[in-house]
Amino acid sequence: MAIREQLFVALDGHRGVAAADRLCEACVVLLDMDAVAISLIFDGVATGTLGSSDGPARMYDELQFTLGEGPCLDCVTQRAPVFVVDLADPDDRHWPAFGPALLAHHIGCVYAIPVVVAGEYVGALDLFRRKPGHLDGEYLSGAFIAAELAALPVLDLLDADLQAAAAEPNSNAWAEFNALCRSEVSQATGMLVAQLEVEPTEALIRLRAHAYATGRTATDVARDILARRLKLDAD
Amino acid sequence: MTNAPRETRVLDAVVSLVDSLLDDFDVVDLLTELTKRCTDLLDVAAAGFLLADPLQQLRLLAATSERARELELFQLQADEGPCVECYVTGRPVSIADVRAETDRWPQFASAAYEAGFASVHALPMRAAGLVLGALGLFGNRTGALTDADLLVGQTLTHIACVAILQELPPKPATVLSRLRATLANRVTVEQAKGFLCERLDVPVEEAFALMRTYAHHNREHLTDVARRLVTERQGRPTLLAVLTELAAPPE
Repeated sequence: MAIREQLFVALDGHRGVAAADRLCEACVVLLDMDAVAISLIFDGVATGTLGSSDGPARMYDELQFTLGEGPCLDCVTQRAPVFVVDLADPDDRHWPAFGPALLAHHIGCVYAIPVVVAGEYVGALDLFRRKPGHLDGEYLSGAFIAAELAALPVLDLLDADLQAAAAEPNSNAWAEFNALCRSEVSQATGMLVAQLEVEPTEALIRLRAHAYATGRTATDVARDILARRLKLDAD
Repeated sequence: MTNAPRETRVLDAVVSLVDSLLDDFDVVDLLTELTKRCTDLLDVAAAGFLLADPLQQLRLLAATSERARELELFQLQADEGPCVECYVTGRPVSIADVRAETDRWPQFASAAYEAGFASVHALPMRAAGLVLGALGLFGNRTGALTDADLLVGQTLTHIACVAILQELPPKPATVLSRLRATLANRVTVEQAKGFLCERLDVPVEEAFALMRTYAHHNREHLTDVARRLVTERQGRPTLLAVLTELAAPPE
């Protein structure tokens, strides 16, 4: 099975933190990493490590929030991936405190890829490996796929009502991912921004929560919103 | 210019598009302009750029029309159709009569025919040894693309790739990152269309046209205008006031 399919299998049937952990665990195996975490910087309301492959992964990842510098922070600020192929390189100037702290734990390189929700850069998939070096070929494309998919557990977590957070044995990550990519969903999200006076991410969460509550797809709900057949209530 | 020979019209398009590349430009905006040039130059009725996301799913980036049926035709090509084939093989696909393809693409072929299209084509977008996506073309009449059509279409497609990659060195990591950023911008532009539909009570097509007109008049990036509309509450009322005036100019 290709990396892409295996990542979807890891997510299927899980939600929220459990889904984030499963995705990180799958990245360790499929991308040949030693530790993987998903972290968020979202308007101060959800800053920190969301999911991790194990205890040490969580510890490495949380260090960046303690030290105030690191891959997730850089990814969100620069809206671009951050690849540090050799933390021991004396010419590397990425993180004067975080870099040596990782080296003390025998981590040799870090790759971080932004997590994007509703067009907003909200966090990063942080990949840690002992052996320094580049991320190539299918490992590189696999890491980008995993970062794309990380949007699903992040959306779960940001849903304050936790409508979606309950584990659903039948949840299908592939179908859900595709529905969220459609133009109608983005357009309806923008309509909700206008109607409810909320941010785009919050608007998308509301749209998705309504889809869950009524057992419909996000695309169907989006079409009804655009055709003005459906109006979601303000809080 | 519409009565000028095609050679002149093609050169005019290339000069004007490359001119934009040499200036500060917005990718979604420029690619929308490119789709319009395709319909002018290639005897097709609709055109759209589909870009592959990291999961290798084709996603719509820019199209000539906001009509729901045409959008659906482009979006159906996440699963099947000439653009998928073109993306997978990296080669142009030209289907003279779409009705002959109902076995190969059951959903897509019937949807295309019902939307009034007789022929469909796709040209690959390529860079750094990767296929980035495809340009989809829909004709009202049956018939394949000629060699000259292919050359014109491929030229416009190359310009689209240069626009997307801009100054980045075309390595796989930078290309993948750029594709994601471009698709994220598109999401914001789509949100802003919905936002304007609601606030100005106009159809999607007009919402998009207003945003582009505003961006061009003020020499701003379309994506920046869109982002200000959906995420910046403070600047929003002023921007909305100007857009409202554009929508209904005073007597």
